[in-house]
Amino acid sequence: MWQQVHKIVNEASSRIATGIVNFLPGVVVLLVILAVSVLLAFVARYVILRALTSLDFDRHARQIGLSAHTDWSVTRSPSLLIARAVQWTFLVLGLLIGLTALDATMPQQFALSIFGYFPHLVAAALILIVGGLLARFVGRAVLIGAVNMHIQSARVLSLTAKWLLFMIAAAMALDDIGIGRSVLLLAFGILFGGIVLAIAIAVGLGAKDVVSRAIERQLREPSKPEDTLDHV
Amino acid sequence: MTSTGSSSSAEATKPAATTAELAVAIASYNDVDTIGDVAAAVRSGLEEASDGTASLGGASIVESRILLADGGSNDGTPQRAREALGPASASLMEVTYPRAAGDLLDVPYHGRPARARALRAILEGAHTLGVKACVVIDGGIRTVAPGWIPALAGPVLEGGFDYVSPFYARHPYEGALTKGIVYPLFRALYGVRLRQPAVGEFGGSARLVEAYLDADVWDLDSAQIGIDLWLAAGAAAGGFKLCEAPLGRRTFHTRGEALDLGTTLVQVVGTLFADLEGRVDVWQRVRGSVPVPLIGDPPAVVLETPQVNVEGLIESFRLGYRELRDIWTWTMPPKSIVDLRRLLDVPPQRFRLDDDLWARIVYDFALGYRLRVLPRDHLLRSLTPLYLGWLASMILQVRDVPPEGADARIEQLALAFEAEKPYLVSRWRWPERFRT
Repeated sequence: MWQQVHKIVNEASSRIATGIVNFLPGVVVLLVILAVSVLLAFVARYVILRALTSLDFDRHARQIGLSAHTDWSVTRSPSLLIARAVQWTFLVLGLLIGLTALDATMPQQFALSIFGYFPHLVAAALILIVGGLLARFVGRAVLIGAVNMHIQSARVLSLTAKWLLFMIAAAMALDDIGIGRSVLLLAFGILFGGIVLAIAIAVGLGAKDVVSRAIERQLREPSKPEDTLDHV
Repeated sequence: MTSTGSSSSAEATKPAATTAELAVAIASYNDVDTIGDVAAAVRSGLEEASDGTASLGGASIVESRILLADGGSNDGTPQRAREALGPASASLMEVTYPRAAGDLLDVPYHGRPARARALRAILEGAHTLGVKACVVIDGGIRTVAPGWIPALAGPVLEGGFDYVSPFYARHPYEGALTKGIVYPLFRALYGVRLRQPAVGEFGGSARLVEAYLDADVWDLDSAQIGIDLWLAAGAAAGGFKLCEAPLGRRTFHTRGEALDLGTTLVQVVGTLFADLEGRVDVWQRVRGSVPVPLIGDPPAVVLETPQVNVEGLIESFRLGYRELRDIWTWTMPPKSIVDLRRLLDVPPQRFRLDDDLWARIVYDFALGYRLRVLPRDHLLRSLTPLYLGWLASMILQVRDVPPEGADARIEQLALAFEAEKPYLVSRWRWPERFRT
């Protein structure tokens, strides 16, 4: 019997040892890939930052309206932002490639599914960036236009336009990566329907005095001073 | 500025006579209401000039031609002009020029679509005729008098001047954009005290016409809007001999709906700022300014006082400060913002925007325009409340003084622009100091 037990233990030990032996090269490869990707990430960041700085990219970005002075931006330098994005892309890609080298089903599946998801993530990021820039541009245009039209609630109009556009961009981005499609559709329906309903109720019932005062105030605002003047 | 790439060649109808001393050009577009009076005034002015009735410095014109550059009117403007000219239509030369589909969409503040192409065709026609002087009149003016022709041509033919700019009589409140920004900036930059450089009429010598035709401004992006200002700047910066001719009042037949103030400001100030970029080597060397002689006697005119709601202007400024302050910080240093903040609490009667502060604000916006700190349209539109604040301040200072006092006040403002010019020059040269 002891021989039987000894044999089973030996076989189990052998299987574990074989498993470890089979698994270890993958771990080593993962570590090597991670190390290389960290190195490449820092080199890429350095090279891109130097290249963009030498091209005076920040100034050109400002000139075409791609300024990083956005409300959501973490840095004031577009060059630094791009360099960091490239650095993190290298790190994440290195990690994912490393995971596929492991002789394990789950990490491999996870990595491959992320790879399949990657184009959607890039598209969503682009939608968010373009949407954010557009929202900021339109918000500022509405603010300046409303002030020049002597509208007292210019800021509210501007913020409404800006956040509406940003929310649409965010919804499009989420839809692209497949998060909460039906929920988003429902949420937007409820949101816009709610806004229209709230305005209707406000005008018709509860806030009719406030609305009438607001309309009255708008009507009482100073008439356009340029009406009778030839400025040029 | 980038080239639009449009063709700018003029297709001038060949005249029967190939030479003339003077060409008077009328630029028109759907001006059937006014073109008759303009053409009749041109005809009378030329008759007076040729028979010696009108003063041309002692000389009379032997040969003259009338050019008509019509922008494709569909209301019978050219026919009406020919009728009004009567026998003088024999000397009429119609010049045509290419028109683009978008001409009527991009409405300029002066209401004249394809203005640059029309002017270029006129100048090419005048050059072909070999004239000594060329006068350009707009067909939409209601107040053209026969005396305008000798007034604009005489200084060229007999006085040796190259560029004769009209000087129109205006109420102190009128033309505030010209008085508050265009004139003082133009004067400080180019060193000549040309008071109305953005108007559409002028008299030019053959030498100037040739220089204009050689200039590379015709196909630039904003040429159809800012060509009048650019031509005046070209004359001032090119070392030509300038003078002004007092012509009395100028009222204009409005073509279509008038532009809002923000768009007008974008067009007028934007074209002047654009001109700055192209003539850096000229204006950075200019110090001070020289007066431009006024040739002729100003006709007696009665000017109506326009209705202005000064408190409304001040309220517009205050609203602008509250809402656009953050945008202004992109182009103005903190000190200017603080100085503007002080104006929020003063009572309307004591509302004053200092000349040196206003000059620095305009210079800051010029620099912001150059550096594109914001989209240019946004930047210039955000200047509107500041301009309205300046206008309120100016009206409060001149409303109880005679017209001479108002002129003196504008002179004081122009001197402030000259005094603050080093501020612009230093920041233009070292933009890294910007926003400090």
